[in-house]
Amino acid sequence: MKADKFEESSSRAGDKIFGLNISEWGMYIALLVTMIFFAVATNGIFVSPRNIDDLIKQTGYTAVLAIGMTLVIIIQKIDLSVGYLSGFLGAVAATAMVSWHWSAYTSILLVLVLGILAGLLTAFLIAKLDVPAFVATLGGWLGYRGALQLVTRSRGTIIIPNDTFNAIGNAYIPDIPGIRIFPGVHKLTLILGILSILFFILNEIRNRKKNQVYNIKTMSIHLFIIRLILLSLLIGGVTWVFASYRGLSWTAVIVLIVFLVYNFIMSRTTLGRHIYAVGGNPQAAELSGISVKKIIYVVFGSMGMLAALAGILFASRFKSATTTAGTLLEMDAITAAFIGGTSPYGGVGKVTGSIIGAFLMTSLTNGMNLMGVDISFQYIVRAIVLVVAVIFDIATHKREK
Amino acid sequence: MERERFGNYTRPPTVKRFSAFNAVVFLFSTLKDGRTNMEDDIPVVEMRNIKKSFGGVHALRGVDLLLHKNEVLGLVGDNAAGKSTLMKVLSGAYIPDEGEILIDGKKVYFTSPWDARQHGIEMVYQDLALANNLDVVANVFMGREVASVKLGPIKVMNEHYMEQETRRLLKRLKIDIPSVRLKVANLSGGQRQAVAIARATAFNARVIILDEPTAALSVAAISKLLDLVRELKAQGTSIIIISHRLEDIYQVCDRMMVLRHGRKVCDTPVVGDIDSFREKVVAYMIGARDDFAEKGGVESNDESR
Repeated sequence: MKADKFEESSSRAGDKIFGLNISEWGMYIALLVTMIFFAVATNGIFVSPRNIDDLIKQTGYTAVLAIGMTLVIIIQKIDLSVGYLSGFLGAVAATAMVSWHWSAYTSILLVLVLGILAGLLTAFLIAKLDVPAFVATLGGWLGYRGALQLVTRSRGTIIIPNDTFNAIGNAYIPDIPGIRIFPGVHKLTLILGILSILFFILNEIRNRKKNQVYNIKTMSIHLFIIRLILLSLLIGGVTWVFASYRGLSWTAVIVLIVFLVYNFIMSRTTLGRHIYAVGGNPQAAELSGISVKKIIYVVFGSMGMLAALAGILFASRFKSATTTAGTLLEMDAITAAFIGGTSPYGGVGKVTGSIIGAFLMTSLTNGMNLMGVDISFQYIVRAIVLVVAVIFDIATHKREK
Repeated sequence: MERERFGNYTRPPTVKRFSAFNAVVFLFSTLKDGRTNMEDDIPVVEMRNIKKSFGGVHALRGVDLLLHKNEVLGLVGDNAAGKSTLMKVLSGAYIPDEGEILIDGKKVYFTSPWDARQHGIEMVYQDLALANNLDVVANVFMGREVASVKLGPIKVMNEHYMEQETRRLLKRLKIDIPSVRLKVANLSGGQRQAVAIARATAFNARVIILDEPTAALSVAAISKLLDLVRELKAQGTSIIIISHRLEDIYQVCDRMMVLRHGRKVCDTPVVGDIDSFREKVVAYMIGARDDFAEKGGVESNDESR
């Protein structure tokens, strides 16, 4: 009896297809189905390069917040303050540029530092004073809302005249001048795309060889090649969409960098492992010599920094700071994280998933807007997607057990 | 069935096979062989006159404890007798009000479990030991991940090395788990307990404290766990077991200590047949017998013969 059970569980663990488990596949399929549906329903407008580009700019700030929120939820906490915090910090950046005549770079630096400090303050309340995260960040939600109104009180909306700053949310990476071939195609984007495909393939082959050296089970060579081709095609396709439009937007570059850095930290480094350990069993982590308090400071500090970044992206995209900037962004981030497979019970979650979750949610909004669906129905649809995603996730995890 | 599982590996020649029949004989022989050595040897752990109170409650009222190299000590007592408190003092989770701890004859002061771990003392807690969301490798190396590249605070883990080491460790302890990449949540209770113990031994722990290791296990899993304890002993580890199940203590322990109301009432080698052993232990537990009633009380060793 017992022996059967072991084998069963081991085969379940081997249920990964192309290196992803069922719930991760569910998410990608959901995204694909959504995109195909909107593509058909809007006669292709939804998948036009222009709209895809827009979609990514819209996803930018939510995605950045969702990445930070993933870490927060993994360690069994929540952060409700990040929406207004990013709105407030966006307004601070605007004030720095407009009233104090700071340059875009120093303003951005100031805001990022303030974001980290705000995150550390939250962490101090949670780790040192034992305030539950929900309450501590609810305080932040109120406080930063007040702070935002205070900053924007004298002039209402602050228009940002700084082109460098506004480029972050609106402009594209420059192209290489003087190349004649492929007119109308963004060459630098194309080159970056090709480089990333090459890098991806080489990295996969290297990992496979390494695994074989260490006698770790690898997928069959056929599956491996199919996976390589499919993913390369995906990267290639996305590259082509950008290159044939206006190239890669700065927003996409920033989100990509944040994603790569966080993905690396969470999956490959000791720090990431410690974050998961604290999320899985704080007492065990503490007994193993991992400082839970330190992890809380790191996670909330990073959340604060990402909130600042989201605020910059948001203010830059709208070229202004308003009194309501950032409203409900925290909820979007939390929703994205849950849809992306982050467990509400902590310990489980991937940065990749949250990005996909954010993209799925923005796609829904964008697609339904294009279709002219009433806003009230939009909320109901999003509600259903959220709940179904979490139900699906819990069900697959139960099955795994 | 276990025999089949373990049959793949040849046991080191120093390990004796246990069975219900020769267990008693074996224990006697180890004690007799070991006795002369033990008296010369400095004990691995010596706790002297440990006192600990919580508010007005005296959890420990001056307990002494000796643990020799390669010895399995059973710690028995009713609820609130002070067993867990004593072990938490030894593992650094509690700081005693009075008394001293000597490791290899040297005085030590533990202020955290981390300190105790640096001295080779590992406690395996009933439920607190593992993170269910992580795989076996991650759990074994939790808090001690091996890094291949260090860039300031960013340390890139050497997954391959950790995986191989984990396999080697499980093989050495004859723990049977289908894949070291399985999440701990997917393991059975016995396997989880085994991983927790393996984790404790992974970094050359010399003293392992097991807190109610068999409480949540099935009969088959218990016998496997006791095999693991014997394996550890054979490989030179000293072990302290807290257990309510006197059968377990009887089967694997060389010596046992009974605590009652924060005091040691009995300290004796495990000898005799199971029934009289049980009777004797219960008598100590309920307070019918007490070897240390007055100062300079009779040594239990003599009485038990």
